[in-house]
Formats: sequence, structure tokens, C-alpha cells
Amino acid sequence: MSRAPHRRFTWHLFLASLFLIALTARATTLVRLRFPDLVHYASAIARVRCVGADIRVENGEIFTDTRFHVLETEKGRLPAQIVVRQPGGTYQHMHSHVEGAPEFRIGEEVYLFLWGRPGRQFFVLGWSQGTFRLHRDALSGKETVTQDSAEIPVFDPEAKAFTKMGVKNLRLDIFQERVRREVLRALP
Amino acid sequence: MRETRRKLGAIGVAALFALWSVVAAHSYALNEIVPDVRQPANLSGGSACPVHTHQLTGTGSLSFRWSTILGSNPKAILTQDQTPAGSLNEIEQVIQQSLSVWTNVSGTSLTPASLSPLARISSANACGTDGINSICFDQPDMAFTPGVLAFTRVVTADTIGIQLGSGPASTEVGQILDADVYFNPSDSLTSFATPLALSANPKSYDLESILIHELGHTLGFSHSAIWSAMMFPFAPAPGTFTGQRPTTQQPDAPLADDDRTGLRVLYHDPNDTLYVGSIQGHIIPANPISLPSAPPGVTGVFGAHVVALDAPSGAVIAGTMGGWSCTAPGPVQFDGNYEIDQLPLGRSYKIYAEPLDGAVAPSEVSNALVSLCRNSMTDPGWPPLQGCVVPPVNTAFTTRTRPSP
Repeated sequence: MSRAPHRRFTWHLFLASLFLIALTARATTLVRLRFPDLVHYASAIARVRCVGADIRVENGEIFTDTRFHVLETEKGRLPAQIVVRQPGGTYQHMHSHVEGAPEFRIGEEVYLFLWGRPGRQFFVLGWSQGTFRLHRDALSGKETVTQDSAEIPVFDPEAKAFTKMGVKNLRLDIFQERVRREVLRALP
Repeated sequence: MRETRRKLGAIGVAALFALWSVVAAHSYALNEIVPDVRQPANLSGGSACPVHTHQLTGTGSLSFRWSTILGSNPKAILTQDQTPAGSLNEIEQVIQQSLSVWTNVSGTSLTPASLSPLARISSANACGTDGINSICFDQPDMAFTPGVLAFTRVVTADTIGIQLGSGPASTEVGQILDADVYFNPSDSLTSFATPLALSANPKSYDLESILIHELGHTLGFSHSAIWSAMMFPFAPAPGTFTGQRPTTQQPDAPLADDDRTGLRVLYHDPNDTLYVGSIQGHIIPANPISLPSAPPGVTGVFGAHVVALDAPSGAVIAGTMGGWSCTAPGPVQFDGNYEIDQLPLGRSYKIYAEPLDGAVAPSEVSNALVSLCRNSMTDPGWPPLQGCVVPPVNTAFTTRTRPSP
């Protein structure tokens, strides 16, 4: 490619980028839950480690019950092990799938904002919005937290505006402080 | 015979573009399923290469029904016609029109004749794993937590001969046995409006846009990362709709080219002679040390978005999630390969690749990626030679192109 068309292409891409950025007025099929909303609605918030999963069939529907060891609880009271139910899973030769439902790997550590009651299965509040993945830097050992829905422009019906307020690569200690501050604020 | 056109423009600015365009184009993704090769080859096909999940498209083979049970307190579906019968007719018209959007894409085997007449059911719990595709507006589901508007549950067969409820047994691997669309009836703050009622109810979500999107899932689509695509993961804002409204002249007007291309890949029309172009290549790291050490055998960048732009206009035509290839009997090889198929002939394209670190995160298209492999850990007794492990998505690369010889 000669230099002139190359420059023209660059300029077109730049203009296209600006146009697209200006069009961030899009919403998700999920209603945005602000971080304080997530803390408020959550029955429990905990750092957990995925230890396994079981497929269940109830009323003809296929679910995946993922088992987690509770490592640290930030809100609510949880037993040492909890079960989080997700729609979908593989049963015999049938693969049931719901797009957008979070999936977990054995051994993975996450912070989950849970919806439900102890003694029964929990659900992840707002699916991708209530799932916060932990990443540990191999060199420094420092941990960061990234929300599955991070960087997703979502619509706030109250503010009538679109924002990208997801948590992305946030230092763990700062994330924990935010959670604890909101938990305290939500106390009566 | 498929004609292949490779008109790759130089894209040295791709990395720069990726930095600028955090909400920019990505690509459609299709749900994949690995056939169960533990079954005899006449049932599974004998190959562990993923196949697209899909519906049958023979005359009248695709059927849907919808539940006329609607939430009333508060009202979940708002219509212009307030009479009970008129309201149902208005909703049904939206469903018909939404289905027509997908069946009127040229160059596919999914045609209006594929659809059997839309049926009504007055049952409150019409959606379930029963072999019947259903749309439900007032059926509670445990998966509805605060913040979830609608979802689609799709059940697919990984071998031939699987029957679900009263549905017919699968005759193809990857056949969708049941697909149900659920709208959240339990959120008192959320309502959906038909196109006729939307302007009068600007706080409601456009029923048609959300339904077209969900119906895309029932046809085998995962989420697209193309900003303008119907399969982009996010619905339009309350009071607005995606793309253009369908018209008699252009029934598929709400779709973007990316949606249309995805549909042509999913439901390829063997008689089509226009949308048969293909672009193929590899994304490989300059430094092989940057490849992941585990799982073994990864030789290219995995999980890159590779997008084809119409060269003169810059419009996004289609894209794909690159990084793998598969040749029977499988399994998938993570060699950085990408292939964009069903492109219209006679046009020039520019190609760029970018990491999945923008508006759509890897988690949003995870199924299209994690479902590429099965192994003895996921499926006991899986033949080792046909097993593989999906590597992590590479989101930390920049791109330069090396034009084809």
C-alpha cells in the first residue's frame, strides 16, 4: 500500500472511531446495576474457589450447580461450601446453553455477588455483573479484580445515560475496601 | 466449487485503530458443539471438529409458538391496541415480523418457507425443555435475578437420534432440539413495548429489537462484537430500537451485514453464487515465546477478532474469532488460523485483527470459544487423540500484516 492511501485509511479509521465512540448510547439486555446496587441486592458477597460442578435436571430443565469453597465473606453468612446454580449444562447428549451465563473453571478464584438464600442454591446476581475474576500477577504476586461486564456500556434508566462503570484490573485491596464501605453504608 | 478471493489491503495502522476504537467493530460468533465421537461414526460423523449449532431449514421444519399469558400487574408488554384480542394480535405481528427478519436474508437456506405457522398457547409455563421452540413473556425462571431482562435457552444434540419431548429426533449433529425465549416478568420496573407503542412509552424497551436478538440465539448465534450488529450483546436504550425497522421492500433491514454474513455461514445456500468468497490467514506472534506454555501445542494467537472491511467504504462486512483450525478427525489445532466465509464476490476488502479487549470481553463470547474442545476431563472415556484443551484468549497483542504472496 502506498503512503497516501495508507494515510487516508488511517484518517478514515480515526473518524470511524470517533463516530463509534460517540455512539456509546447503547444498553445491555441487562439493566445496569451500579456497584452500590450490586452490594445492596446481593444476599452475600464472597471470595470463592471453584471446586467442581454437577449437572442437574429439574422440571425438565438442565442446570449446572457449581460448587465453591468460601474463602472470605464480605457480606452475609455462608457455609464453608456453597452451590451456585447456572442455567445450562450438558446432560447425556443434550447441550443446554444460555448465552451470557458466567462459566467457571475448577481452581478459579472469583468474587461472587450472590442472589438467593443459604441452604438452597445461589444465583449470580446480574450474571456477568456479579462476577469478578481474580488475576494474580506471576511476577509480583499482586492480585487484581475484573468484573465480567467491565467495559460494557450499559444504560442507566434513572440517569438516562450510558456509562462504562465496570471494575477492571482494580487492585484487590481497593476492591475490598469499596465492598466493605458499601456494605457498611447499607447497614440500617 | 467455492471461489476464493484474497484481496488483503495492508493494515499497518490496525494496532493504532484498536487503541482508538474501544467500542469498535468485532464480529459475529456462532455457537459450536463438538460431536460425541464416543458414538459410532454413523451417529457422530466420527470427527471431533466443532460444528455449528443450527436449526433444520426444510419446508415447514422450523416452528415456534408463543404463550399468550402476559403479565398484567404491572403490564409487561405494552401495545397500542388496548383491547385483549387486538393486543395479542399486535404482539403476534411483532413476533412474525421478527422471524421474517431472519428468514428474508438472501443467500441462505433459511427462507420464509422454512417456518411453519406461528402457534399460540395459553399455558402459563409454555417454555421448557420439551422439543418445542417457545416464546414466553410471563414465565418466572430462577435465573432471573435483578438486572436480567431476557434470555434464550438453547438445547443442542451432539449426535444423531436424540429426541427431546415431543420434538423429532435429531437427524444432524449440532441440530437444535429446543430453543425458548424468556422475557423477565418479575421486574416491576421493566416493560417492553411494541413498535406501535414505543413512542408513547419511552421508558420501555423495544420488544422487536430484543426479540430479533433473542431469535438470533434460537438460530445458533452467539454474540457479535460488531457495534451495529443485531447480535451485539446489548439491547438499544429504552424508547429506541436497533438498526432500521423492517419494511416490505427490506424485511431484513434491522440486521447488519455482519448478521447477514453469519446467517449465510450458518445456513449456507448451496445454490448461491454471490456470497461464496472466503478470506483465510494466520495470526502468529513475532516472538513464539509469547505463546502460552499450557496447554501444549498452541502455535498461533488464539481469540483474536479478525474483521473484513469493505475497502472503498470502510463498512464492516463480517468478522470471525480467529485462532484455530480443524481437519477431520480432529481435534482443533490452535494455530492462529482464521477464515471469513460467505463474503460477496467482486469487492475489495481490508482485514484487521484486534484483541478481545474492547466493548466485548472474552466472557461475552465464551461459549463460542470454550466449546471447541472436549477431553477425558470433560467427558469420561473421550479418545485422547481427539481431545484438546482450549487455551486462554490472548488479549495482549498488537498487529502488523504480512500480505499474502
